[in-house]
Amino acid sequence: MKKRSYLFIALSAIIALSMLLAACTPTAPSVSEQEPQQPAQSNDSSSSSVEKEAAPVTISFWHAYNADVEAVYLEETLIPEFEAANPDVKVESVLVPYDQFRRKLLIALSGGTAPDLARVDIIWVPELADQGALANLEEVIPDFATYSEQFLPGPLSTNLYNGKHFGLPLDTNTRVMVYNKDMFAAAGIEKAPETMAELLTACEKIKTLGDDKFCFADGGTYAWAVNPWIWSFGGDVTDESITTSTGVFNGANTVAAYQFLKDNIENGYMHPGMLGGGVDSWGGFGQDQIAMLLEGPWFPPLFGGQFPDKEYGMTLMPAGDGGSVSVVGGEDIVMFQQSDKKDAATKFMKYLLSEETQLKLVSVGQMPVLKSAVESDTIKNHEFFGIFLEQLTTAKARTPHPRWSKIEEIMTNAGSAILNGEVSVKVGLDDAVSQIDPLLPIE
Amino acid sequence: MYLSLKTQKKLMPLLFLIPGLLFFAIFQIYPLLKGFQMSFLDWQIMPGKVSEFVGLDNYARAFNDVVFGRAFKNTLIYTLVTVPGQMIIAMIVAILINSLPKGKTLFRALYYIPVITSWVIVSLLIRYFFQSPNGIVNYFLVEVFHLVEKPLPWLRDPALAFVPILILGIWKGIGWSMVIYLAALAGVPKELEEASAMDGANGWQNFWHITMPLISPTIVFTMVMLLIGGFNVFISVYLITGGGPRQMTEVMLSYAYHQAFDFLDFGYGAALSYLMAALIITLSFLQIKLLRKPQEIY
Repeated sequence: MKKRSYLFIALSAIIALSMLLAACTPTAPSVSEQEPQQPAQSNDSSSSSVEKEAAPVTISFWHAYNADVEAVYLEETLIPEFEAANPDVKVESVLVPYDQFRRKLLIALSGGTAPDLARVDIIWVPELADQGALANLEEVIPDFATYSEQFLPGPLSTNLYNGKHFGLPLDTNTRVMVYNKDMFAAAGIEKAPETMAELLTACEKIKTLGDDKFCFADGGTYAWAVNPWIWSFGGDVTDESITTSTGVFNGANTVAAYQFLKDNIENGYMHPGMLGGGVDSWGGFGQDQIAMLLEGPWFPPLFGGQFPDKEYGMTLMPAGDGGSVSVVGGEDIVMFQQSDKKDAATKFMKYLLSEETQLKLVSVGQMPVLKSAVESDTIKNHEFFGIFLEQLTTAKARTPHPRWSKIEEIMTNAGSAILNGEVSVKVGLDDAVSQIDPLLPIE
Repeated sequence: MYLSLKTQKKLMPLLFLIPGLLFFAIFQIYPLLKGFQMSFLDWQIMPGKVSEFVGLDNYARAFNDVVFGRAFKNTLIYTLVTVPGQMIIAMIVAILINSLPKGKTLFRALYYIPVITSWVIVSLLIRYFFQSPNGIVNYFLVEVFHLVEKPLPWLRDPALAFVPILILGIWKGIGWSMVIYLAALAGVPKELEEASAMDGANGWQNFWHITMPLISPTIVFTMVMLLIGGFNVFISVYLITGGGPRQMTEVMLSYAYHQAFDFLDFGYGAALSYLMAALIITLSFLQIKLLRKPQEIY
């Protein structure tokens, strides 16, 4: 009995202690009190002399730049250059792979240990802003109205939530069709397909090369993969005001798009990896098993590293009833509400968004978001950005909505059921619409 | 401060226990209690936001959730297939190795290698093997053994997608049970086997009436442990199918994780975990109560 009570006291003491310890998580500025942060006048000459004496402020910057090329350039060229010009700021670069990024960021946010800055997928901004995680840049940057005028309006608009800007565009991209020149030559295809009808003719010829040769491949039925087809057929996920998907996602044009994908998987034109299980699309492309892929501007530098001798061409997304419409990708740079170093973070943000840095990032395949950069000679004479810029003029962005992750899961599941032939196209999309519609209203 | 020898003697063991207990309390007990609290709240991830108390809503929601029902069924299937699968194969392997005149250590090590291999690595390998149409499994099925006409759409077909997960679960677990069975078999007195052989028992009778009763506590132990392990299946599902296609291969943990970390619904995720914990505790309790018999060996 005695022994037991000792153990009991010890245990309960330890439990109590552990709760105390855990309660001592770093105190983050709470979300409810979103006071306008008045940045100190960092350009003020009188205060800068004092700042130089003090130890440099270290800010953390999370990104998912690819480890081989982009992150190396950031860490070995850009950050040292910035730190040399701004001795009072040190930048800690943290590479978080894309597929873990959102989760790790959310965990850090809930623990109050968010980074100061992050480069995030444009599609995450509404959700993060909805959670109250992001700093309203219109308050952080005093001359935001004039400062933001230098950005391309499309990418800039991806930062809007409730009429306020919670980030700034950092880079933009879209997907264009890359085609395998060897396979096209072997199949006797003379020019890259420009319309859906021409695409089908090309696929027919590719199929004559063998049963294990595919005309086209993609990784799944998520929006990044299927939306270019939906839009090019004239369909969409929701209406323009994002209030309903009825009559849009199950409308005739979207039905036609899914029917097209389904037919092409059934007759073996498209690689069945789109239904799930994935596909090594670059390997297949490099080894003449796949003739066409939709790829972004990172493709030439990275694919060139894997298959230096492979010849390929690039062309626009084949046009359907809705024209040639691809999907807008890219990243925004956001600052976190929890950051207590917003001034230093603003400096680095502005450095990354300066015309000089934006043009430097072109060398690693990042497309700039500044109007002035797009009109510069570097871009005009760039070996492959031209086609992407042309595609961007018609490209659309995925639905900016705080519940986008859920909406996309419904789309992905519906697409997989439809393409697998488990439900008819119309039934599958009707079902998806009935699930998406209740998610759309924002209270 | 002077303490009497008696107090010192009492204090000493506690002092030695504190580091371990502290670790246990912070990383096991605290999250456990926190999760329990979360399961009754509409948990907000951002510090400073108020998490509303919703009572049993999260639990009630689970019972009307079709996908959770499917996840529950899949977890059950996984456990019912992999636990006996591991136990039977491990027993056969253990008996074979036990009867080897030499090379026991080598084979024991070989069969144990999968156990210490990282789940992540073998899951990714299995995913690679079962690729379709050009995976190595399809190659053997179609080109070498001519068992099927066309490559099977392994990870795309809901009916097939769970098979690689089951195979991996069994393969990776054999070594663990085998080592324990080997130890138990080594403890079976040779005299008993010799005596029964003398009385005319054949190999099977010998195994069934002499060996089995003697090692049955070990069998119950492995069964309880494997069952708990089976219900905890997560990494392989997460990496091989990701719960897909269409959440058809979702298991309880992967679904709880999905709800919490993909949809930020931590309250619901915590409730799902607690439902599972309740299930495991009940099952383990029943197993031990029903299966463990008092042993009278000598």
